[in-house]
Amino acid sequence: MYDVWKNALAEIEQQISAANFSTWFQDTSLISTANGNIIIGVKNSFFVKQLRNRYLDIITTALKNNNITINTIDFEVQAKVKSKVRPREVIAGKDPIKERVKAIRNTNDMKSVLSNGLNQKYTLDNFVIGSNNDLAVSAAKSIIAAPGTRYNPFFLYGGPGLGKTHLVQAIGNELLKKDPNLKVFYTPISHFYSDFIDAIQNGKGKEFNRKFQKLDVLIIDDFQFIVNKEKSQEEFFNIFNDLFLLNKQIIVTSDRLPSQIKTVDECLASRLTWAGAFDLQLPKFEDKCAILRAKADLMGAEVEPEAIEYIAENVNTNIRDLEGEFSTILLMSEVRGLTPLELIENGSVSVNKTTKLRPTSPKQIVEKVAKYYNLSVKEMTGKSRIAHIKTARQVAMFLLSNELKLSTNKIAAEVGVKDHTTVMHGIKKIKQDLKLNFTLRDQIEEIKEKIYG
Amino acid sequence: MKIKVTQEKLSKALNNVSRIAIGKVTLPILNNVLIRVDNKKVSLVTTNLDMAIMDFLPVSSSEDGVVTVPAKLLAEFVSNLPKGENIEISSKDTKVDIKAGKYSSTINGTLADDFPELPEIEEKKAVVYKIGVDEFKASVGQVIIASSNDLTRPALTGVYFNTYDGKLAIAATDGYRLAEKIIIDKVESEVKAIVPSSSLQEVLRSISDDVEEVEISFNEDLVRFRLGEVEIISKLIDASYPDYQKLIPKDNEVKVTLDREELIRVTKLAALFARSVGGSIICETKTPDTFLVKSVANEFGENDSEIKTVVEKDGRVNFNSRFLIDALNSLESKEIEFEFSNRVSPTLLRNTKDKKYTHIVMPLNS
Repeated sequence: MYDVWKNALAEIEQQISAANFSTWFQDTSLISTANGNIIIGVKNSFFVKQLRNRYLDIITTALKNNNITINTIDFEVQAKVKSKVRPREVIAGKDPIKERVKAIRNTNDMKSVLSNGLNQKYTLDNFVIGSNNDLAVSAAKSIIAAPGTRYNPFFLYGGPGLGKTHLVQAIGNELLKKDPNLKVFYTPISHFYSDFIDAIQNGKGKEFNRKFQKLDVLIIDDFQFIVNKEKSQEEFFNIFNDLFLLNKQIIVTSDRLPSQIKTVDECLASRLTWAGAFDLQLPKFEDKCAILRAKADLMGAEVEPEAIEYIAENVNTNIRDLEGEFSTILLMSEVRGLTPLELIENGSVSVNKTTKLRPTSPKQIVEKVAKYYNLSVKEMTGKSRIAHIKTARQVAMFLLSNELKLSTNKIAAEVGVKDHTTVMHGIKKIKQDLKLNFTLRDQIEEIKEKIYG
Repeated sequence: MKIKVTQEKLSKALNNVSRIAIGKVTLPILNNVLIRVDNKKVSLVTTNLDMAIMDFLPVSSSEDGVVTVPAKLLAEFVSNLPKGENIEISSKDTKVDIKAGKYSSTINGTLADDFPELPEIEEKKAVVYKIGVDEFKASVGQVIIASSNDLTRPALTGVYFNTYDGKLAIAATDGYRLAEKIIIDKVESEVKAIVPSSSLQEVLRSISDDVEEVEISFNEDLVRFRLGEVEIISKLIDASYPDYQKLIPKDNEVKVTLDREELIRVTKLAALFARSVGGSIICETKTPDTFLVKSVANEFGENDSEIKTVVEKDGRVNFNSRFLIDALNSLESKEIEFEFSNRVSPTLLRNTKDKKYTHIVMPLNS
């Protein structure tokens, strides 16, 4: 029916002026054609008379041309703008669900952002320490104890939602707690740029520079968004150097190492990791449980250990997702009046968050590693003891184990070594090197990117 | 077509009808006013396809005919002519000549063929009510303020005319407050119709001093207001109106009587401090004799005012001060009743004597 009317309208449109068409026919519809009794829906009664007296002939012809039999034609007022509101009391009282959502939202509101860019909700107390971040946290603590000394610059990196912003903001907040007169400034790199460009345009470049030189602690977030603009990067570099020479604390976060950010000048990249680079890793199962327990305490919610374990086991992406899923479950439990565990057991919630990586095969990994190190697969899986070939082979073992969880025996077969003890040794070697050798870390990250990218 | 009429009468009629002829619509002829002379009856008509205004013009002499002219242009031309001047309008095809003493002009009009034919209300089938003009004006004014302009909820953008218990009431709500007024105590016929607030505004504007009575006629999907020489036809809103009676609280726990002027004054004082918190003010009752209005604005300070009255029960409720002031302004008597139960249920405001008008306001979440 809808199509018939559409065709008829197309025909009518050609016969009358555009203004008339859009005025009189725009909101019409064909309601019924039963037994040749045509009913056409119109916006309001102002349209009925006009259509009947002026356009009936045109409508009749158009419908006939679309093979509709016509006895009578009638018009009916049919408001097209149907109420989009779900039925509810007009004067809405408190909606319990909404109230609860609001309450939960309020636990992480953004109201407390200060002019120095710091949000007071981030503290070290509510940062859950685990094996995935203990190094970074101990460095953070030593910065709080003595800013601008040992870990300067403090370079923190890790994937999204692992707590980078939380940790660096916590450093800022704790420092201010210790000494309120300290000049701390937090800014994402993108804001740094837009402010810089504004300053330049208003001829206040010097003032901009001076403002930063007065700081005691500068925190730059999301450094990976640094842009490849010489002038701005130079400005950042200058500020960086000035502060550094004055022993002022600089803190930088990024989702990867500076050497992996293509737009970063080499000189700047090496300076940023001068005092080492600290990473936040994906939390292990126990860490995740600890995070969830802390969150439950914070929100004053009772959650069964089994429920916590279930969620911890099934969210494998990052801490942000973990907390998000957890809040959703708490909310549902509030609304439905069931405990989180009951919800999980009766299947009302299904939590499954895992990083979606492209599936890969052992063969692919071996090929990609070989290619990365400019070797042929044959060379790499051969018997050569030359150092760089051996390293490549060990990297391949490491990745096969880490990414595909292959058994050491299978790995031995894939990379052409005699037995599984060699593989175990190789993996151990790489793991150890990773702790100190940043180049190797970079390399492995890059290979992973190639495998999954 | 030819008419002779005084400047005052013509200007008044043109100003009235030309308000809705403003080029918002796609059809250019809707910016025109239709001038029709039919057996000495002269009518000026405009429409925006949601409503139409007709003004019947008393003229000294006329010749039959019909033409349409850009409404704004004609209205402005005529209103700038000197008062007391006799104006003669005549048309030949689409040329419209206007002469007034030494002033004359020619306006290019349009043939009336394209002007929409207006819907009519069949007198026999119509439901008709009559009400004194002052009562009508006051009542609509008291209620219309509570209507909504949220187009996603069409029903609430109108004023609901409905009969119950043999009375005709009008009501409006925007979901945060509700106003109801009983406008006729005894009616025979029944009606349930939502009149667009925008149309009612035009009705209010079109009422001139010499009108004494408003005649309201409904049919299935139209309403017509007759105001002396002026007739306004409007569509009705095709939606179902919420059952608002249920929302009016019947037994409130806290009831106080307050001096209206004084409550307006303290509410306005509190509102000054409440600007930064979205106008939120607090009303508190304290036994035996204190009604408190408070507001707190962290950066500016705070405000506390007391009104002495008889209080039987302690209570507390938060409001948007704007809604409260609107409500108080539409009440009329010297003293008003202020009733509420708790912090989440609606608060009721009424004149102490005349119970025909009811205003309820939802408290703010606190």
